[in-house]
Amino acid sequence: MAKGYAVKNNKNDEILFRSADFKEEKITEQIAMSDETTLLISGTDPLQRQIDDLSRKLQEAESANLAKEAFLSNMSHDIRTPMNAIIGMTGLAKKNIDEKSRLLDSLNKIDSASAHLLSLINEVLDMSRINSGKLLINEEPFYLSDLLHDTLIIVRPQMEAKGHHFDVKYHNIVYENLVGDIQRLRQIFVNILNNSVKYTKDKGEISLSICEEVKDDKCELIFNCTDNGMGMSQDFLKRIFDPFERVNNSTNSGIEGTGLGMSIVKKLVDAMNGRIDIKSKEGEGTSITIAIPLAYETMDIDASALQKKRFLIVMEDDDTSKMLQGYLNEFSIPNVTVRDFTSAITEFTDADFEHHPFDGILFGNFENRTGNTFTMASYFRKSYAGLPMVLISEDDWDKIEYKANRSGIEHFIPTPLFRKSLISSLQEIFTKEHSASATLQTPDLSNKKILLVEDNFINREIALELLRSTKAQLFSAENGKAALDMYLESEEGWYDIILMDIQMPVMDGYEATTAIRNSGRKDASTIRIYAMSANVFAEDIAKARSIGMDGHIGKPIDVAKLMQTLRGAE
Amino acid sequence: MKAYQERYIANLKQILERRDIFHMPGEDFNNWYAECRQAEEKINVLKKENMDILTKDLFPVLDDLYNASDEDLKDLESFSDQLMDWKNNLDCGVYVIIHEAMLRMYRVAKNPSRIIKELYKLGMGIYYQDLAYRGSDHPLARQLHFENEMLFTEAASYFRYFSSISDDETRGYIIRSLANISISANDRKKRLSSSIKTLNIVTDPYYISLSPNLPWKNFERRTYQQISSVRSTLSRGDFSNEELALIMEACQVIFEPEKGSDKPNVRWLWPYYEMEYNLGLADLKTTLARMEDLIEAASYDQYDESGLYANVQLPVYYGRLLRDNPQLLQKDRYTSFLKDAYDKMMKTILSMPSEYMSEYFLYIFYLLADSYFETQGVEPYFEVMKKLIVRFSPKRYIRALLLSDILELYCNAILSNDEHFFDELPFLKEINAGNHKEALLQYVKDCALFFDFGLIPMNMDRILDTRSLFEREAEIFTLHTDIGYQNLRRRASTERFADVALGHHRCYDENGGYPEEYVRLDSDYRKMTDLFCIVTYLEEHYEEEKDQVFESIASKSHTSFSPVLVSYLEDKDFRNKIKELLVKDKGPYYKQLYDQLKN
Repeated sequence: MAKGYAVKNNKNDEILFRSADFKEEKITEQIAMSDETTLLISGTDPLQRQIDDLSRKLQEAESANLAKEAFLSNMSHDIRTPMNAIIGMTGLAKKNIDEKSRLLDSLNKIDSASAHLLSLINEVLDMSRINSGKLLINEEPFYLSDLLHDTLIIVRPQMEAKGHHFDVKYHNIVYENLVGDIQRLRQIFVNILNNSVKYTKDKGEISLSICEEVKDDKCELIFNCTDNGMGMSQDFLKRIFDPFERVNNSTNSGIEGTGLGMSIVKKLVDAMNGRIDIKSKEGEGTSITIAIPLAYETMDIDASALQKKRFLIVMEDDDTSKMLQGYLNEFSIPNVTVRDFTSAITEFTDADFEHHPFDGILFGNFENRTGNTFTMASYFRKSYAGLPMVLISEDDWDKIEYKANRSGIEHFIPTPLFRKSLISSLQEIFTKEHSASATLQTPDLSNKKILLVEDNFINREIALELLRSTKAQLFSAENGKAALDMYLESEEGWYDIILMDIQMPVMDGYEATTAIRNSGRKDASTIRIYAMSANVFAEDIAKARSIGMDGHIGKPIDVAKLMQTLRGAE
Repeated sequence: MKAYQERYIANLKQILERRDIFHMPGEDFNNWYAECRQAEEKINVLKKENMDILTKDLFPVLDDLYNASDEDLKDLESFSDQLMDWKNNLDCGVYVIIHEAMLRMYRVAKNPSRIIKELYKLGMGIYYQDLAYRGSDHPLARQLHFENEMLFTEAASYFRYFSSISDDETRGYIIRSLANISISANDRKKRLSSSIKTLNIVTDPYYISLSPNLPWKNFERRTYQQISSVRSTLSRGDFSNEELALIMEACQVIFEPEKGSDKPNVRWLWPYYEMEYNLGLADLKTTLARMEDLIEAASYDQYDESGLYANVQLPVYYGRLLRDNPQLLQKDRYTSFLKDAYDKMMKTILSMPSEYMSEYFLYIFYLLADSYFETQGVEPYFEVMKKLIVRFSPKRYIRALLLSDILELYCNAILSNDEHFFDELPFLKEINAGNHKEALLQYVKDCALFFDFGLIPMNMDRILDTRSLFEREAEIFTLHTDIGYQNLRRRASTERFADVALGHHRCYDENGGYPEEYVRLDSDYRKMTDLFCIVTYLEEHYEEEKDQVFESIASKSHTSFSPVLVSYLEDKDFRNKIKELLVKDKGPYYKQLYDQLKN
């Protein structure tokens, strides 16, 4: 007799579901379920049903057990490894509690092991969250360039560590402002790329291609990662999205992972209504394509302000410089490209001689035997103080920002470059910094009050004249004592900036600054005080900093340098 | 010149004269010691006066440069010319800041002719300043050097306006800057290509006809000389046929005439032989024989250009040839010749009259520190350098004696508390535990002489006798740790001092100081380096801070200084013993110096 099933609501005996073979009069079994329903089974021989049931459960249990065993075995190894490091390094840290640098070294290693452990736990939790249906996909606007830049920053160090040749290509990028969950997209892309890094022998070939296809009201973002790594068998490909599954052969022992990554990727792609396609051959490599439909925002660009500027591009990287040049030309923004520092200097002297100066330099990050981008920028900072300089590169800005700022580079545009986000970034940098007036770098300080302290009458007049263009409210004092008195007699917060000569009669600039900083007023530590002096003894500059001055402006005053300093107070 | 400018120059000359007293022990120790003390006091007075001149007279003029009269500007130029006349370079640092200020002013005034001139002058000043770290491949050195190349490059880039610039003076600066790109460029291929470009210009009739009064023949000869300077790298085989032909031509123009001379000047003859060797026109055996002849022909006390070249440079080059051709070391003949040549070289250097001791000494020190070949049979690098330090940097020697006394006191205190404290030092691992203390005390004595080794060829002591360092000089100063480290680590007799030389300005927690390359935990000498950090700080700051120096060190425990070592200074008796050493009469140290110099 054929088996039939039905589900009954216990509260009102209503049959909620019935299979075609269910015969109400032949009910042989009733099983109470947890949600106040009862499973009714008809036409089954109870003994046979029990045997079938037990056999199925046994199979499931064995399979689950195997997966659990594999998982526990993997996890116990993967968790123990960083835990051992944490325990061991904690012991070492205790032993060297008086040796700060050794302590720091141990803590750094604990930090790194903890981060690794956390990522393992996060994967397990992610999986659990997805399985329990708690996964939420955000819908927020983001820049495609940010997504790709962030992804590449994460994977590049591992690529470099294993000596892989990593080729990145972009095609047909139509929409740069997309709407979706940037965190989850990054998680997917990083996961795929990390697998390629891990499962490809050192010095392998990995390529990434990104393109877009517009379908109705959606833009499909298509990501393809291809490697010449160890590849996967057809049998494994069938199970690749099952949790805790990892390629298992003699060549990958030692590769860490939970076996959850691809499973999570699949669930995330599904949740985003995307698709994933994997082609792989053992010993030859793998190609994974992921397509995610995303909403997009259109971006209107008005480049007219930039068309009045002139840029010098200093880049060795042909692809990026060609792309950059192409985009600028497309928007009719004047530019000149050079590949080395000597040519850059030549272009600048030409510009000076011919009176058509550059408004900014767009640097790539490169280094050769004679110097690097930062040494070049330092030279321009000295020679053409105040000239805005932008670094366009694949680097992690957080890591190089300090070095770049010291060299005079204050702005960063991440690669990959896409036309609209590039123009928009340039607009943000250059139209904010430059007014259309003749003094291109003049900051707008119309809501600020500047106290100029200078004993030389003519110098004072010149400086005041220069400062007038900032629209700040200006005050002056002829020595440190007069400045101190003016400061103490003013309301708290009245002055925003003090430009302090150092050598003055009655009271010098150091003494006046020390008295201001020690005055006990609320604004004593916040008011910006800059030294102005031709005194360039290293110890004096250090002294200026140590008594609380915010910077040093060399004399004779270079207008651009003065304006650059004041821009920091905008 | 203004009166203050003349006074500054006169003071500088007096300071330099008085510095020589320390190198020249008289017949009677007591008289000489008294002279040294007087000289020291006088130097301090003159230094203070010159610092006042800079801060009260020069800097206000630079402050007010926009309002300076033509006469003021001319005086400044004359002053800077006196500071650097390329024969007696009195104060390159002040020369540089004057021209930096002038360049800044002319840039604002957008005056191309003056910008070109100032770029050239500043470039020359910085070129000279950068000799302090010659040979260094440290990233900071490359960065500083890049500035030099760029100054000349910027001035030279005006060449395309050569015909529209009307005055010969500016045109001359453009040509000189063009030529100087090659002396300032790091890359030898770039140096050559730049010189070739210059040669084409200075021999082009069109440009000559535009400014016939410029010294074109001199430009041409200088450019050939510059081209010939790449001869030592010819054997790398990466020059094109045209480039090789041009380099040979340059060597022939510059050096071949010396071959036909009855009394050839070795300085100008040897480079021709060197070119022949590097091009394969003369074999190694012939080249060594030529070298041996030239070295043997010069008597040790021949101090003219040819004699010094034969007595000092050639033995160094001979050593390099043996180093690069290790098969020659199997033959006693060559190592034996090298030993004799080195011995004679040291005799020449140590007996050299004082008028040779400024610029030339710096070069010698650099050359030997960089290229002395320590091999079996020759005097160890350690001994050679020790003699040079005593002879040419006597104040460093005096300081080393004082430091070694304080270090010994510290080591004794540490060992009495923890006899295994220094056990990680590699040289102690090789000897019996019973001899550890003796070996340790000898080590600190020697290391006190060598930890600042990189400073000696930098000429920083001379600057510090005349004034404080300017910002760029202070940056250059920081390179001494790496320069010392690189030289010391390459020789068996000094490698044990290398880590201390590298790390003695680095903070204990690595959050400050320099250089970043010193990773405390990676160094087996870290405890010794920690000790040098504290002891040198005490010695440098005690005179000014007195007892406060101990508070100062305590406040920097865990950050700048090792807390374990700082804790010893909590003991009042120990502090008093250190103070006694710091204030005691330095006569006995001077006596040791005197005896060394006399020997």
